[in-house]
Formats: sequence, structure tokens, C-alpha cells
Amino acid sequence: MIKKMFIIFGRDFLSSRRDALAIYIIVVPLILAVVIALFAPGLNDTTVNIAMLESDNALHIEYIEQYAKVEVFKNIEEVERRVNKRDEMAGIIPLGDGYEIILQGNEAELIEMYAVMLNSFYDLRLTKEETTATMISFGRTVPPLKAKLTNMLISMTIMLSGMLIAISIVEEKNDDTINAVNVTPISQMGFIIGKSLLGSSVAMISIIGAIFITGFYNVNWVMIVVIGFCSMILSLVIGFLQGINSEDFMEAAAGVKMLMLPIAGSIAGYELLSDKWQWTMYWSPFYWAYKANDLILAQTADWPTILLCTGLVVLSSAIVFILFLPRIRKGLS
Amino acid sequence: MISVKNLSHIYSNNDKLAINDISFEITKGETFGFLGPSGAGKSTTQGILTGLLKLQKGDVQVAGYDMNKVDNKRFNKIGVSFEQSNVYSKLTAKENLEFYSKLFDVPTRDPEELIKLVGLEGKENDRAGSFSKGMKHRLTFARSMINNPELWFLDEPTTGLDPTIAATIKNIINEQKAKGVTTFLTTHNMYIADELCDRVAFIIDGHIKLIDTPKNLKMQYGKKLVDIEYVDGNEVKKETLKLIDDKDKKRMYEIINNYTIQTMHSKEATLEEIFIQVTGRGLI
Ligand SMILES: Nc1ncnc2c1ncn2[C@@H]1O[C@H](COP(=O)(O)OP(=O)(O)OP(=O)(O)O)[C@@H](O)[C@H]1O
Ligand SMILES: [Mg+2]
Repeated sequence: MIKKMFIIFGRDFLSSRRDALAIYIIVVPLILAVVIALFAPGLNDTTVNIAMLESDNALHIEYIEQYAKVEVFKNIEEVERRVNKRDEMAGIIPLGDGYEIILQGNEAELIEMYAVMLNSFYDLRLTKEETTATMISFGRTVPPLKAKLTNMLISMTIMLSGMLIAISIVEEKNDDTINAVNVTPISQMGFIIGKSLLGSSVAMISIIGAIFITGFYNVNWVMIVVIGFCSMILSLVIGFLQGINSEDFMEAAAGVKMLMLPIAGSIAGYELLSDKWQWTMYWSPFYWAYKANDLILAQTADWPTILLCTGLVVLSSAIVFILFLPRIRKGLS
Repeated sequence: MISVKNLSHIYSNNDKLAINDISFEITKGETFGFLGPSGAGKSTTQGILTGLLKLQKGDVQVAGYDMNKVDNKRFNKIGVSFEQSNVYSKLTAKENLEFYSKLFDVPTRDPEELIKLVGLEGKENDRAGSFSKGMKHRLTFARSMINNPELWFLDEPTTGLDPTIAATIKNIINEQKAKGVTTFLTTHNMYIADELCDRVAFIIDGHIKLIDTPKNLKMQYGKKLVDIEYVDGNEVKKETLKLIDDKDKKRMYEIINNYTIQTMHSKEATLEEIFIQVTGRGLI
């Protein structure tokens, strides 16, 4: 049966290679990923630069070097000159008992916070093992805008994969070929799963491709795959329903595009609503998917949170799927 | 091979019974013709026998499987050619057959050979979307043979084909018959039915009016028919009358006494004429 599912998949792939709309859907996320990568240059450069004095405690320099790129200078003037250059750089120089942080003034808050934190950790002599967790969550080493854009792209990719399924269902409907498949030994469930494979694999490849192109190599890929796979289920169900209820490709594509609304709403809700009102978005699986991806891209995700989000996405998808399975079955017979 | 008892079917959006309490048996190796006018319920019956329509009422056994239970394995033994051709437009003729053949668990026939068989040689690598209606229909027909079916459902296999190609299709059906394939043949074409079928059923408005061999039907209804052409005013009229029917006999005297006869000959009834006699309706 598995083999037959892949035969269905192979045929869908062959057909979509000959369909302009399908090709478009497959390549658009990757193109957008390239656009994000090009328009947000240098954002991957997550290393924080620190200028220090040669005369400083060697242990201190060594400690800071574990977490930042350190450049050493002969005197305070040189450190100040370096910090005042255009790029993001903070200086740490000894002052009396403690240290002074030198900033240009237009440095990101992030850098300032990082430098301060780093130095306090040194004061406390925290080891790497003890501090990593705190450091990352404080250090937000990932540029937020780029992560947000990539995350939106992921949401869009998931929607597009639904569209791909809808298109291939409409093809079967237009050619009236479902009847022909229904008089072969493949079971209806096998057919449905086989039909999902193209959308799923394209979504998975696009998501991974997009994250790679935009340069988030260090994310937890397992988490990405888990949440990506689960948020796709909903899109698959909607793709099937839309395919069954549409007469032509354009109608199907337009129908799936309606998903934009809850997706955009969920993203806006997550980004703009205050914590007090976040609960108003809890109904939306897209909210949970977006939240999970947000945490993963920021590299602040932990498994319990991701599993919670995933569970909620799967739950809502399953509810929709079970509710509409009879419709899908009927539409495919 | 097929056993149907008291089968009825109604479409949800239609309050008339599409099939009304029909029963018949088809034995192994038999070619069974299902004849009737448009809307009689032929395709509906085929739909139920192939499992595409859900069995609502009645007992149906097909190729040893009870149609109340779903078992997709049975399709390894069954071939189905559809009334409306249904092939993937974006795939070539060959790709269509190759894809389809992979869905079966039994040895399948060579796609190119089948394409050749139905006269589509040279079109293997053309997309089915570019095919004419008749070509698509032939591809659908060819596909139905891909798994070497023991039981073969053909819904209007020759409709819309030119006479030469229809003859080719007829020959293919004959060859399959020689191999012992059981065929359920739905058609409007009485000549094809006459030549190919071991038995035919006349179906009208969801009822089976009779089931018999073409030979018996002709013995019973044939021979005693007379075609008369006569002149009435400026018009030449034609009537076909039964010599055993009193009303028809009176009518014949009437014509002979009142009009000028142009031609008059007795003949064997065609299946079509028998159909009209039995059901009182034409086949269209
Ligand atoms: N999908 C459907 N929904 C509702 N009624 C239908 C449907 N299909 C067929 N019918 C009705 O069922 C009856 C039988 O139709 P069917 O298609 O079986 O006829 P047929 O003998 O195959 O005719 P034809 O020679 O035109 O193919 C008709 O009265 C038709 O109107
Ligand atoms: Mg029909």
C-alpha cells in the first residue's frame, strides 16, 4: 500500500511539473527566502564584538572570548576610537574595582545588555554550563525582523502546500479520473494519503529550504520538522476540501487563499496583542504554529513548549479532519 | 460470475428509482449485453456492480465478492471502461497506462501494445489532453484491459467512434471472449450486441423487460415481419408490420386496398426492432 501511495505521489509530481500554477507555488517560497536573505544582510552576524584592553586581566579576556569576538587595544583612547566606528561594538574597560562599558550610543540595546550581562557573569565567575540558558534568552542572538519574516514565509508555505493539494484534486475532478482510480486495488485512504504526499513534501522542502536560505542554520531542525509537519495537516485538510468543492484551479486557489485571513490574523495577534489578550488567539492553530516557529527561530524554544504548541495544532487539525472526513470521502468517490 | 437479486437504486437528488428491483445472473465466460434507451439505468447498474455506487438494496455478488463488503483486492480481477472517457490530460497516453498499471498487484499488459491495439500507434507520447473525444475513449477502453481482467465492464465502448474503429473494438472484445473473459456490455448499438452477446437484457425505466439470447429473440419475434412502402398522396410511407398480430394484419389489408404499394418484403427482425416491439420504445 505504501508503494501505491508513492505511485500516486509520482503521478502528482509529474502533473504538477506540467502545470504553471503548481510550479509557481513550489518555487515562490524559495524566491521569497532569497529576497529576505538579500534584503536583510548581515543579520546573521550574531557575534557580538567587544573591545578590551591589553592590560586587562588575562582571565577576564579569556572568559569574554568564549561568548564574543574580542579585539584588544593598547589604551582607552584606542578602545573608544574602535567603539565609535560605525559597526556594532562595545568596549569593556577596567575602572576602579569594577568595569566600565563603553558604547557609541546608537548600538542596539541588545549589545549593551549583552555586554553588561557578560561582564556580570564574569564577576560571578559563572561557568559556561551554568550560564548558557540565561545567556541565550537574554542575548537574543537572532535578529528579530528576519526571524519574523522567515516565520511568515513558513506560514505562507504551509498555506501554499494546501493549495497544491487542492489543485491536484481539481485535476482529478476535471479529468474525472477518481472513478478510474477507485476501481483499482488502492484503498481510498491510501489514495488520500498518496495525494497528500506532494503537498507535504513540497511544504517540508520549502520550509527547510527557506530557513537554510535565510541563514538560520543553528535552529533545532528536529523541532522545525515536527511543527512544520503538524501544521501542514490542517492545510492538507483544507486543500482537500477546497479541491472537492471547486470546479477549476482558480477557484481552488482562491479558496485556499482565504486561509490568509486567519493566518495573518494569528500572526498579527501574536505580535501585537499584549500578554493579557494573547488568549484571544488560542483558538487558532496558526497562532500556535507561528509561536512555535518564533521560539525555534529565536533559538529560545524548549521541547515542552514546542510539544504543547504542536499538540494544539494537531488537535485542531484533527478536529477539522474528523469533522470533514465524510465529506472528503464522499467527494472522492 | 455475477449474481444480482432484487437490486434497486435511487439517487439522493432524484425521487424516481433509477433501478427498480432487477435480478439476473451472468455465468463465467459469458458476454452479457445490457441494452436500453438513455436513462434506462444501464450505467447505474454498472456503477453498482463495480462498487463505484454504494449498494442500497438487493444482493449482489461480483467475481465471488459480496458487494456489501468492501474489498479492493477484487479489482485485480476486474476491468472497467467508462461511458465518459477519463484519462489524465496532462499525462501522455503511455504515462496514463503506466501509472494505472502500477496500481494493480497482478501482472499487467504492456502499455505500448495496448495503445497499438486500439489504433493509437504513434500517439504514445502525446498528452491525452490533446486527444479527440474518440481517441480518449479508446485510451479509456485500452486501460480497462491493462490488468488482464477476468471480468470486464464496458459502458458504451463503441459510442462516438467511426465504424472502422468500432469494428476494431468489436474484434478486441471478441478476442477477449475467446480467452474466456466474462463481459458486461452496455450499449445502444444493437448490431454490436447482436454479434457479441451470448445473452441480452432489455432494460427500460429501471426494469428488466426480458433476458434471452439474440437467437431466441429472433426466432420468437423475427421472420414474420413485413416492411411495406406505399404511396399516400405525394408521400412515400413506410411501415413495419407483424404477420402474427391481428391488428397489424388488418392494417396490411387496409394498406393494400387503399394505397399503391411500392415495395413489400418480409425480413428477419433486428434486435432493435425486437426491442421496440417488446418495450414499445426506441433505443434512443
Ligand atoms: N448522478 C445522478 N444523480 C441523479 N440522478 C441520476 C444520476 N445519474 C443517473 N441518474 C438518473 O438515473 C436514471 C438512470 O441513469 P443511467 O445513467 O443509469 O442511464 P443509462 O441507461 O446509462 O443512460 P445512457 O444510455 O444515457 O447512458 C436516469 O433517470 C438518470 O436521470
Ligand atoms: Mg449510461
